[in-house]
Amino acid sequence: MTIMTKFFNRITMLVAGSVFIMGTVGAQVAFGPVTGDAKKGMQLYYDYGCYGCHGYNGIGRQNLANDVSGIMFNETVFLTYLRAREDQNPLFPTQSMPNYAAASLSDNDAKNIYAYIRTFRDEPPEVEDIPALKAILDAAENN
Amino acid sequence: MTKKSEQEKGGISRRAFIGSSAAAGAATILPKGPAAAAQAAPSGGTPVSLPPTPQQMAREVGDARPPTTFRAAQRPGSDLIVQVLRDLEIEFVASNPGSSFEGLQESIINYGEIPNVMPEFISALHEESAVDMAHGYAKSEGKPICALIQGTIGLQHASMAIYQAYHGLAPMVILVGRDDKHFLQAHTADDVAGVVRSFTKWDAHPQTLEEALVAIQEAYRQAITPPCAPTVVILDTEVQKEEAGDLEIPPYRPPVIPTITAAQADEIASGLLAAKNPHIAVGRMRTPAGPKKAVELAELTGASVTTSATRMPMSFPQTHPLTGKGADSAHDYVLGLETSGAQASLNGPHLRTLDGRDLTGINFGGIRPPVRPSQNVPGENDLVADAEASLPLLVDAVKRRMNESKRETVSQRTVQHGKANRDARVVALRKALEKKREGWDASPISLARIYAELAPMIKDLDWCLPSPTIFSGRHHEELWDHDKPYSHFGGHPAAALGFGIGASTGAALAARDRNRIVINIQTDGDLNYTPGSLWTAAHHKLPMLTVMHNNRAWHMELMYVQYMTGVRGRGHDRAHIGTTLRDPFIDYAKMAEGYGMKSEGPIKDPNKLAAALARGIESVKNGEPYLIDVITQPR
Ligand code: HEC
Ligand SMILES: Cc1ncc(C[n+]2csc(CCOP(=O)(O)OP(=O)(O)O)c2C)c(N)n1
Ligand SMILES: [Mg+2]
Repeated sequence: MTIMTKFFNRITMLVAGSVFIMGTVGAQVAFGPVTGDAKKGMQLYYDYGCYGCHGYNGIGRQNLANDVSGIMFNETVFLTYLRAREDQNPLFPTQSMPNYAAASLSDNDAKNIYAYIRTFRDEPPEVEDIPALKAILDAAENN
Repeated sequence: MTKKSEQEKGGISRRAFIGSSAAAGAATILPKGPAAAAQAAPSGGTPVSLPPTPQQMAREVGDARPPTTFRAAQRPGSDLIVQVLRDLEIEFVASNPGSSFEGLQESIINYGEIPNVMPEFISALHEESAVDMAHGYAKSEGKPICALIQGTIGLQHASMAIYQAYHGLAPMVILVGRDDKHFLQAHTADDVAGVVRSFTKWDAHPQTLEEALVAIQEAYRQAITPPCAPTVVILDTEVQKEEAGDLEIPPYRPPVIPTITAAQADEIASGLLAAKNPHIAVGRMRTPAGPKKAVELAELTGASVTTSATRMPMSFPQTHPLTGKGADSAHDYVLGLETSGAQASLNGPHLRTLDGRDLTGINFGGIRPPVRPSQNVPGENDLVADAEASLPLLVDAVKRRMNESKRETVSQRTVQHGKANRDARVVALRKALEKKREGWDASPISLARIYAELAPMIKDLDWCLPSPTIFSGRHHEELWDHDKPYSHFGGHPAAALGFGIGASTGAALAARDRNRIVINIQTDGDLNYTPGSLWTAAHHKLPMLTVMHNNRAWHMELMYVQYMTGVRGRGHDRAHIGTTLRDPFIDYAKMAEGYGMKSEGPIKDPNKLAAALARGIESVKNGEPYLIDVITQPR
């Protein structure tokens, strides 16, 4: 990421406003209602490439599962965030969060995506209960 | 050159020879030398009868002994070329066949007591693959093998891989056949090596057999002299086929590699021994001898060590007790070995640009750009000397200064460092494992899970991970123990794709007779440039396990295009066009099967992964390469 895009991302955060602060409290805050259709959202999450950086199940370069994102606080914040990066015009390719313009991803579709993301749960077993991970740990501890 | 002018010159074209020998039967002998040329058909193509041979003459005058077995070529020049390669201990010649080197190819497969060994002819399906194999071999063994390439056209196929090897400091000798008399003019150039000269270190076009032997030795010497890089020798077909007579192979002189002076060695040794808490930072050395000597130095001094073993070959073992920050991270003397250090660092010589030249420019042609443009520019305390070659001097200097009390200090420090480093490793690992378990049960399968499931299976095996892992999360860095000079090769040195499978095949060539296995974590986009190496691995029975990181995309590009749609505010649902491998999906298990490699998949269910990996490892241990197609999370 270039210094310029980092700078712009900061501005985006400020546009998203109070959300930035909520991001730090995350799961403890009561999240807003879901009005979209998660089923439709599933296809849209794929078609609009969200899976590309957030994983098919919300675990990826940037995790979304388990309500970890303050941006997911409510639909309004989420929509604001999606639209908030339109003036970014990087000279170099970037894998940062793209802007999603309303002209190409409608509010309705975005709300469906929102509904789908809210269903993401990742509850992997504990390290001790995963044989491969436990074996790795044991080997290091007995070294 | 047209067929007509060949005949005017009295030569025999390849095709004319094939035609006439078919007509005259198997006994036809290709006439050789000016006398024979004078006998050849002048223009009309009517064969002229040849004069009797000495054998026929002898029989004519009553000597009725059966003729001795007749060989048209008694001591072909290419036999001597093979002997030179054998003397240099070149294990393999990776090649896609071409009619500019059938002489040399025939010698490789037939010359000597045990033919086709040292070097062994390895069949590559693409010249790029042949060079990538040489690159992979060089990264694991720190020494060259050869790629044998058809002139001009084959070399153009090979060129990108050579460019990548140049950036990767990979020593290799590229032999290029050239035939400008009896073959297609389009395959011949006056300056064959010109097409790759900007990114090779040295090239030659010898005119005689003797020159050719010397040139190959020099190409080898140049390739292994730091900065290591590919070198090229153009071998005319005549030189390969020429009678060697009693020509002797000239002696090979190994290169003299610049080291620090004895005085500098003494100064560094006293710095290391006088320090309360010395530290050594190790980058990439040239050959496995480098890390071995670095271990000796660290153990003699009890210095803690920073390794680069998870990012490049030929570095310090990752789980050596001295690897880590040690008991106290305030180091009062730091020595860098092929890496920048505070007090002293030994950085091998580098090819440099002219003053004022833009380091980021590629500027093909003219002067060769530096092997590594922006890295390792020597700093204030850097000694421009090869670390590996200097280490024996340093070790000796330390030994000379050693006494009982110093030995005692070193031994205490070693115990303290060992405990601290081990504890730190476990803490870091626990933290890492918390991240790795995320998405453990997800389908498509998480990349961390692939590396994690493999870890206990390869723990007690001698393994090598040649594939670049930047796209698959580099999870091996924390989960696998990089303790060998060849544990991991790092990224694609020129960020050029199509590298993983070829480099892994080359590493598997090195592994085959060394009881080692190769794990190739293979992205799908990368495989599709040169999948033919799958056949090479199957054909030569190479111990290579390929695990597909199949995200059905050139995913990096998908992310970039997705971002660009955002910048332009349009078509956010169209970024998959030209960036994904869908409609239809590619079936990699079938692809492998088609090339004759055992395979399974596609696997989507994470609970089926471990058993498949275990089957793959078992197969590879038995010398049967194996491919597992795994449908993965994108990254
Ligand atoms: C090219 C990669 C990429 C794509 C595609 C992408 N994102 Fe993101 N996303 C990111 C990154 C990176 C971040 C972290 C913040 C940043 O860098 O700006 C992020 C952050 C987010 C966040 C805030 C997460 C937090 O940390 O609080 C949400 C919500 C989100 N993305 C949703 C989406 C949705 C919905 C889509 C599809 C419509 C999408 N993203 C597509 C890369 C991507
Ligand atoms: C020879 C070459 N051509 C094109 C590129 C541009 N490029 C960079 S990454 C990439 C996609 C790689 O796809 P894959 O190997 O499947 O890895 P993924 O990004 O999907 O993880 C491409 C095409 C390149 N680096 N090298
Ligand atoms: Mg891919």
